[in-house]
Amino acid sequence: MKGMIFTLSFKPRFALDLSPLIPERMQSMTQAEIKRIQLDYGKGKLAVEKAFKIKSAKNNNIEFRRSTDKLIRIGRNMSKGTIIIKGDVGDYVGQSMKGGTIIVNGNAGSLMGCAMSEGYIQVNGNVGDYLGGALAGEIEGMSDGFICIYGNAGNCIGDRMRRGMIVIEGSAGNYCGSRMHAGTIIVLDRAGEHVGFSMRRGTIVLAKRPRHIAATFRSCGNLKMQFLRLLFKQIANMGKQYDIFKKIDPEVHRYAGDLAYKGKGEILILQPILESIKPGTKSA
Amino acid sequence: MKINGVTIDDTFAEAFPMKATRIIITAMSLKWAYMAANSIRGFASSVIACGIEGDIERELLPEETPDGRPGISVMMFAMSKKDLDKHVPTRVGQSVMTTATTACYAGIHSEDTISLGKSLRYFGDGYQISKVINRRRFWRIPVMHGEFICEETTGIVPAIGGGNFLVLAKTSRHGLAACEKAVEAIKKVPGVITAFPGGVVGSGSKVGSKYKFLGASTNEAYCPTLKGQVKSELTEEIGSVLEIVIDGLTEKSINDAMRIGIKEICKFGTKKGIYRVSAGNYGGNLGPYHFHLRNLLK
Repeated sequence: MKGMIFTLSFKPRFALDLSPLIPERMQSMTQAEIKRIQLDYGKGKLAVEKAFKIKSAKNNNIEFRRSTDKLIRIGRNMSKGTIIIKGDVGDYVGQSMKGGTIIVNGNAGSLMGCAMSEGYIQVNGNVGDYLGGALAGEIEGMSDGFICIYGNAGNCIGDRMRRGMIVIEGSAGNYCGSRMHAGTIIVLDRAGEHVGFSMRRGTIVLAKRPRHIAATFRSCGNLKMQFLRLLFKQIANMGKQYDIFKKIDPEVHRYAGDLAYKGKGEILILQPILESIKPGTKSA
Repeated sequence: MKINGVTIDDTFAEAFPMKATRIIITAMSLKWAYMAANSIRGFASSVIACGIEGDIERELLPEETPDGRPGISVMMFAMSKKDLDKHVPTRVGQSVMTTATTACYAGIHSEDTISLGKSLRYFGDGYQISKVINRRRFWRIPVMHGEFICEETTGIVPAIGGGNFLVLAKTSRHGLAACEKAVEAIKKVPGVITAFPGGVVGSGSKVGSKYKFLGASTNEAYCPTLKGQVKSELTEEIGSVLEIVIDGLTEKSINDAMRIGIKEICKFGTKKGIYRVSAGNYGGNLGPYHFHLRNLLK
């Protein structure tokens, strides 16, 4: 992929905020101007040229190389183009994202895709907590877009999520889909405790039955959910990396809840849990 | 101009602008998709009294449908967006939603839309669920067979209605044999429908009537029983006139459908009782689209 390549030239000790480095902003800037951009670094500032070696080609693509978990807020507010991250990355990747694509070839921190309203995020590794969640003090989390994690995810996935879709090919931590307003979360391995805690609406699809389902979720029995045929076909159409969805049967055990919060949400547990289906291998 | 002895009149078909939409009906099997499709296209032969004109466009393979089940695409035409918005959701509600295992999706994606599930969702009585997948909103309406899935809206596009040609034959039996073949051939043209029963009109009309309350009445100039009574367009040997009316998304699709249809008709020739092909027009005052028979057969 040709575009601007930022290779980290030092080992940061503090969080380095890369939110100014988004495609639409840099498109109109010269390389000299880009080099002079001041980034928040711990309590102070750091110029881009002191943090990165830059190779430039003008288009909407950005690549961060030798990334570490100290790099935060990559792709914040971006609305177009592609950002590829090679290595691990810190918190708030794709925060308030409005479009475009972010691909992480490594592990990512917490609050990835929080408050995003459009766009696509793919992580070929694990992620932390509050994936697609809400910013502190905000009522709603991600309001649209698509996040796919090929590894495992932390706690509170999709916390306060409003719309959009999160697919986790690995396992999810505790409180998956907590306080969801709506949207869809699919976990193709095991989810932790308190799935769907306080969810109002929305759908959580689990490939494996969790150890415990709260008493505020009521069984609706085993059903063939017509809607899942549509959902899985549409996801499978998004690319070869989602071929796994072609194999999944729409038969589920449906639980409606959280009845403490009007109970319009649902947990769908795939039957017969599809033990034979191994989560797909990651793709670049 | 003559083809296989059949005279092609030097006249034109007069067509007018319409609005069209396409919906995709899927079901557990093609048989049940057809149940819904046949129901929704029933009583949709002419805007004169049905509100809309509609017909099955074609069968869809599972890989062509949004949910991977067998499906049918149905096209519906009306004089305005308002008419489509009034009739399509009603028909989907009564004909598709009531058919077991069906789902209904948009078949045209455009900026201009009419509602589908947007109004039908209320049938869910508060238990309906909205899902946005790839920027398309679907409604999941809990029903007794499971869930009825319906896309929120379907796109509408400008279209053309009223492309037509008349088949002047020795008897109805001769005319119908030729028309059946023509309709079969027209069905293979993408983006067109023949909304009348079997694709053939047995009672073509003219605009207006001696009765003030009637907007359309029998086209006496082409009625064989009135040959000696009125200023007839028919010669002695013609005993039956059938019409094929074509609605299409573009001028080209109607052109293609008319050409293919007329050529099929002409294959029968005078020996099999087909004498003339003509077309219905109203002196050019009704619609801006004129399909000259001889031009399109060149």
